[in-house]
Amino acid sequence: MRNLKTFRALALATLLATTASAGSAGAVDISLLRFFGECNTEYGTVTDISKANGECGIITVLTNKFNAENTLGAKVVTQTVEWGAYYDQLTATYSTGNIPDVAVMHASVMPNFSGRDLLTPLSGPLKELGIPSDDFVPAALKNATANGEIYALPFDLHALLFHVNMDLMKQANMANPDGSPMLPKSADELIAQGKKFKEATGKPFIASESQSAEGMMVRFFDTLMWQQGVDVVSADGKAASIDTPEGLNAAKLISAIYSEGLANPALDYPGSEQAFLNGEAGILLNGTWGVDNYDSQAKSGKAALKSYRVANVPQLFANQKVWADSHMWVIPKDENRSAEKTKAAEAFLKFLYDNNYEWSRTGHLSVRQSVLDSAAFKALPHRNEFAATATNATALPQVQNQRAVYNAMITDLNAMWLTGTEPQAALSAMQAGVERVLRRNR
Amino acid sequence: MATPRTPARRKEALTALLFLAPFLVAYGILLVYPFFKGLWMSLHDWELAGNFREFVGVLNYEDLWADPIFWKAVGNTLLFVVMTVPSMTLLALLLALAVNGRGRLKGILRSIFFMSSVFSVSVVTLIWSMVLNADNGLLVPLFRWFGATPINFLGNATFAMPALTVTTLWWGVGLPMALFLAALSQIPPELYEAAELDHAGRLTTLFRITLPSIRNTLLLVLVLQIVGQFQIFGQPHLMTQGGPANRTKMLVQYIYETSFRDWQVGYASAMAFALFLLMLGFAMAQLWLGRREDA
Repeated sequence: MRNLKTFRALALATLLATTASAGSAGAVDISLLRFFGECNTEYGTVTDISKANGECGIITVLTNKFNAENTLGAKVVTQTVEWGAYYDQLTATYSTGNIPDVAVMHASVMPNFSGRDLLTPLSGPLKELGIPSDDFVPAALKNATANGEIYALPFDLHALLFHVNMDLMKQANMANPDGSPMLPKSADELIAQGKKFKEATGKPFIASESQSAEGMMVRFFDTLMWQQGVDVVSADGKAASIDTPEGLNAAKLISAIYSEGLANPALDYPGSEQAFLNGEAGILLNGTWGVDNYDSQAKSGKAALKSYRVANVPQLFANQKVWADSHMWVIPKDENRSAEKTKAAEAFLKFLYDNNYEWSRTGHLSVRQSVLDSAAFKALPHRNEFAATATNATALPQVQNQRAVYNAMITDLNAMWLTGTEPQAALSAMQAGVERVLRRNR
Repeated sequence: MATPRTPARRKEALTALLFLAPFLVAYGILLVYPFFKGLWMSLHDWELAGNFREFVGVLNYEDLWADPIFWKAVGNTLLFVVMTVPSMTLLALLLALAVNGRGRLKGILRSIFFMSSVFSVSVVTLIWSMVLNADNGLLVPLFRWFGATPINFLGNATFAMPALTVTTLWWGVGLPMALFLAALSQIPPELYEAAELDHAGRLTTLFRITLPSIRNTLLLVLVLQIVGQFQIFGQPHLMTQGGPANRTKMLVQYIYETSFRDWQVGYASAMAFALFLLMLGFAMAQLWLGRREDA
């Protein structure tokens, strides 16, 4: 009898518990697919955004904060994918039906999706959410727009920078009285400075990812091409202008950086960062995303890098331009998504937009003019040292298959220092490789 | 001679079919259907995401014929197979001969040699990338000790392929070794006793008794290795990304890039069929050679 009572009580408790949990599940769960890494051990429960640092920390805490504070009862469930496999996985979700409600997307990749009607148009929703499109810096809005329709919420502009070890630059007598580094104004001067630096410090002038994975030098090559007024790919996505006199100038400079021993060709991405932090190179060629990290490492006193500064990639040719891309948030198109989920996804976008300043603490440039002009943004470390990058930022035209173009360029550009290919031969191979990709563009 | 169609025979055939049905269903769904679907896709301009499908006939195969990267990938894959299959087979055989038999030490060694096979490809490639890294790898101090500049194995046109081969040998030698061990244990001890009585040397014993007795296993290992190594993917994808300058770009990697990065599933399916024919050809040739020696 007693047993029966216990059993009844248990059954009732179970029933209540189930109802209660069903009640909270009635609130909307939305799925978020992104890269930027996984850091739940450090930030899993943190909702105080001022405590977060770096891309992973800030986006994780922003997500936590949204989950804790939103009034819709919405909960963002994050799925993190390693960066190299991210787009393969996102694409696959369209076949498996497991389409995320919100996903991060590079501007350079968007044409593949927007051109095939795979993204939810956002012009209407953004207006309804009270996100004014005229506060976006023009480059960012252009990135998110295709055929007059906005398909993404721009989140940042990220560009290539020169990260500088000022102690080494001083040792090589290459520091200006105002504390800024003396940087080259032409291709020849870059090589001359590199030699001078190497003589004075015994260390390579430049550290850069130089293996076949990231293509840091392809970004530099694109930069050098824009500085000479040439776009690697034509606006219609049909032609490439790599095997050109301008291309040869760019390839010869990059080849010389390695053949003169001004950069260590054995470095992979983490290796290049480590070399810079260990004080083994004067300049690290890497993007805006590193600023926050290098700054805190230098301030911590634990790294050999003590005196850290940032500089715009210098103007070596006629125009001041630099490679850039943009992180954006999209709502992948899914016919089966409920109205509640769509509403929750849009609310999350609005939240991210409102907190755009927090994201710019990573080192990325804000896409909101009001944030860029704010005192808080200007007070962030080093921002004034690369302020010009926001206006010089340049991206490839919005053509499809930019990932394939990029990979084809990495393969043959890197061959210059990895297999000793001559600059002209590398250019011809790059031109042929990119044309093969573009041929399939519709 | 035709079988007489009696009711009893028909019933027998039906029972046989019933027993075979589960296998046939699985085989049909998991192998036959995808095979023909793949063939169908290869005749289309078929995109991974979105709804674009256009029948293009054999255009993808014509493209394949003229695609220099495809042929480079075929060449690289063949080179990798040639470098890996014989060395893997030989290494597995030598290890099996060394650790065959009783004894605690041999048992421990058997486990150790097999252990690397249980790791996933990501773990294995991570380990070997750390070993071979020219900046801070395990071998760097060794080079420095000799006063030499460390070789950038994974970024070097000459050494990248051997580096992948060594990684693959270390990772994959366990299974063929286990197959050889199983075969060696099947050889009747009387044969060795007889050989000893005849004062046969160790080499004679090896070539006259051991090797002929495990011939079928040798053939099995070779065919498995050929089929397996033609499909190499993880090692170049994770360690060299096909570089430097496409020197280690392999077929499956190119198929993966074409379908998942570039969304050209139709074209990638055409490549997959080319790879299938290549593997079929080599495996058949191997079996045919094996049979011919039997005759």
